[in-house]
Amino acid sequence: MVHNTQEALLEVKKLHKDYDGLTVLSDVSLSVKKGEVIVILGPSGCGKSTLLRCINGLEAIQSGKILLNKVDISGSDTQWHLIRQKIGMVFQSYDLFPHMTIIDNILLGPLKVQKRNKQEAREHAEKLLHRVGLIDKINAYPRQLSGGQKQRVAIVRALCMNPEVMLFDEVTAALDPEVVHEVLKVMLELANEGMTMVIVTHEMDFAKAVADKIVFMDQGEIKEIASPVDFFQEPSTERGKQFINMFNYNHLNKERE
Amino acid sequence: MKKIKGLSLLFISILLIGLVAGCNSSSKEVSVIQTIQENDSIRIGVFGDKPPFGFVNQDGENEGFDVFIANRFAEDLLGDASKVEFIVVEAASRVEYLESDRVDIILANFTVTDERKEAVDFATPYMKVGLGIVSPDGELITDVSELEGQKVIVNRGTTAELYFIENHPEIELVAFDQNTEAFNALKDGRGAALAHDNTLLFAWANENPGFSVGITSLGNEDVIAPAVKKGNTELLEWINEELETLAEEDFLYKAYDATLRSAFGETIDADDVVYQ
Amino acid sequence: MRDLGVNILFEGLNMQRLLEGLWITTRIALISISFSIVFGIITGLFMLSNNKIVRLFSRFYLEMMRIVPILVWLFIFYFGVTKIVPVHLSSELVCVIVFVMWGSAEMGDIVRGAISSLPIHQKESGIAIGLTELQIYTYIIIPQAIRRLIPGAINLATRMIKTTSLAVFIGVIEVLKVGQQIIEYSLLTYPTAPLWIYGFIFSLYFMICYPISVLARKLEMKWQH
Repeated sequence: MVHNTQEALLEVKKLHKDYDGLTVLSDVSLSVKKGEVIVILGPSGCGKSTLLRCINGLEAIQSGKILLNKVDISGSDTQWHLIRQKIGMVFQSYDLFPHMTIIDNILLGPLKVQKRNKQEAREHAEKLLHRVGLIDKINAYPRQLSGGQKQRVAIVRALCMNPEVMLFDEVTAALDPEVVHEVLKVMLELANEGMTMVIVTHEMDFAKAVADKIVFMDQGEIKEIASPVDFFQEPSTERGKQFINMFNYNHLNKERE
Repeated sequence: MKKIKGLSLLFISILLIGLVAGCNSSSKEVSVIQTIQENDSIRIGVFGDKPPFGFVNQDGENEGFDVFIANRFAEDLLGDASKVEFIVVEAASRVEYLESDRVDIILANFTVTDERKEAVDFATPYMKVGLGIVSPDGELITDVSELEGQKVIVNRGTTAELYFIENHPEIELVAFDQNTEAFNALKDGRGAALAHDNTLLFAWANENPGFSVGITSLGNEDVIAPAVKKGNTELLEWINEELETLAEEDFLYKAYDATLRSAFGETIDADDVVYQ
Repeated sequence: MRDLGVNILFEGLNMQRLLEGLWITTRIALISISFSIVFGIITGLFMLSNNKIVRLFSRFYLEMMRIVPILVWLFIFYFGVTKIVPVHLSSELVCVIVFVMWGSAEMGDIVRGAISSLPIHQKESGIAIGLTELQIYTYIIIPQAIRRLIPGAINLATRMIKTTSLAVFIGVIEVLKVGQQIIEYSLLTYPTAPLWIYGFIFSLYFMICYPISVLARKLEMKWQH
């Protein structure tokens, strides 16, 4: 985990979002420094996934600003397909393109969007696949892979674009428990290498291990931002406490004994 | 076909704007017959699958009673019997072919009815059609009264069925959908006789020894006439004059001999069919 | 039985006439199907348009083609048009026009169905790696949609081939009509004529439709991946 005091790479300022009058995000402000790993926690429907989708331009926002490297990217004139090369995103669902091999999945962006040299891009992809232990699947089709393998490929596909920041939207939520760790391990390694990451997850132990900062959201608002140690030991808000206790089965059991 | 006209108005404007531009509309003052003579060909609508009136033979040539007359029209109008373009029509679209100027004359077994008179102009009839009754030679039915207490085979929805229901409710009917079913029933003796259009029966009896059309004409007789587009009096008058001239030389009887006699057999009187 | 019924196929020019009729059927069907595929994809994209008016209009077009029977469309274009403007479109051209209008509408609906059945994530994944809308359609949506629309498209193609028999009502003498003419001409001498003629036409249709379904199955096999 890299801690530094540089200026923010990604900034969200007073973001407001609603669907047909129903507020889903209200007055959300967040700053992510280069190399920082932010984990967003909160109950289902609190708006954490929507926040990631707004940052990547998949959802329109009603007011507020999003800045990447101090450039406002929330305006209507934003060239989103250029911005998105700098923001990698991995989704909860297995979102590989089923009609393409693994290598074609990975190279689609580098070749068609970034117009990179084929040889160079392929070497890059092979290196990344090697790192996540899937080099032998390079010519396989997605349906021949397990859920955990598919998510690792999805991560590689995002990484191969050389993004400045990676967004992870509950990437292990749809996986079988026994393969969750292989995906988390890759993410942890990325964090250790200094990748800037914003992660939405329900894996509390993983959050504790990987995060530089925990952002706790509830009902479309950020309730508190704290270090993982502080948040998990002593949340400063009542909602935060309730949320932590939901995951604290051991504590409940011991009390009964 | 009012609906069709309305719909077409709606769509033509959208789809055919480009096509209309390049077309020179012919003036209505031009004589119809003159146009036919300029084209050196007359377009006559005939059937392709109704022997022996209008059909296509095994060499792909049009033949039949209607075709024979059509060839004569061409000969007298253009000096050559072969200068006729046969357009094979369907019963359901005969009126449309005339209305849309795709044929000059319809000679396709076109029965004159009041309803059709509203849509097209009929010339003098050249043929008549009525009901006939066919039965086995051994027990030949020659009068309707002989059918009392017997079963008569008919086709569902035909004028024959209607005639018996209206005029002889006392006679029991056996109804079929298909012609072949009905004729097979007669062969199997499931009825004493079979009632249908007389011309069809003539042809069938001729091919099926042991059966004869004992009653050749029954009920209201209908007539069959050439038809032209509504308001095309020039061509209509020409056809009427032509038919008058042809009557002088008994042309229709010659046509009968050439096309129908072999199909109907020697026992049938040409006057049961030819209208003159 | 006075004669072997099968002989009817070889009498006079009967065989040649049947094959000529078949060629007309095939020609109308092939031209119509080809154009329908091209215009159908465009119609399908219109049906998925974000513009409500465009969507409504393409929906209206599809419903018009479905509600009004093909036979009526043939009559409208063959007879109706001529009554209003002095244009005589040939019966075969009218057939192709009507079949392309119908085929494009149905194909459009198949394309729409295939595309909208794709999970939304597929599009979002494409967006997330920075593809433009056109690239998303070219590399992700259309290749996957094609796989999904093959069964429907094959079904439509065979339906179109069979529906060509309606063309007879505007004077196109296609294979079925030729068959009918031969049967009516020879029924009294060959009572089994319908059996032989329709049997032969059946095998002709089979010869056209079978390769199409074989091709479809091969494509589906190939795209199992």
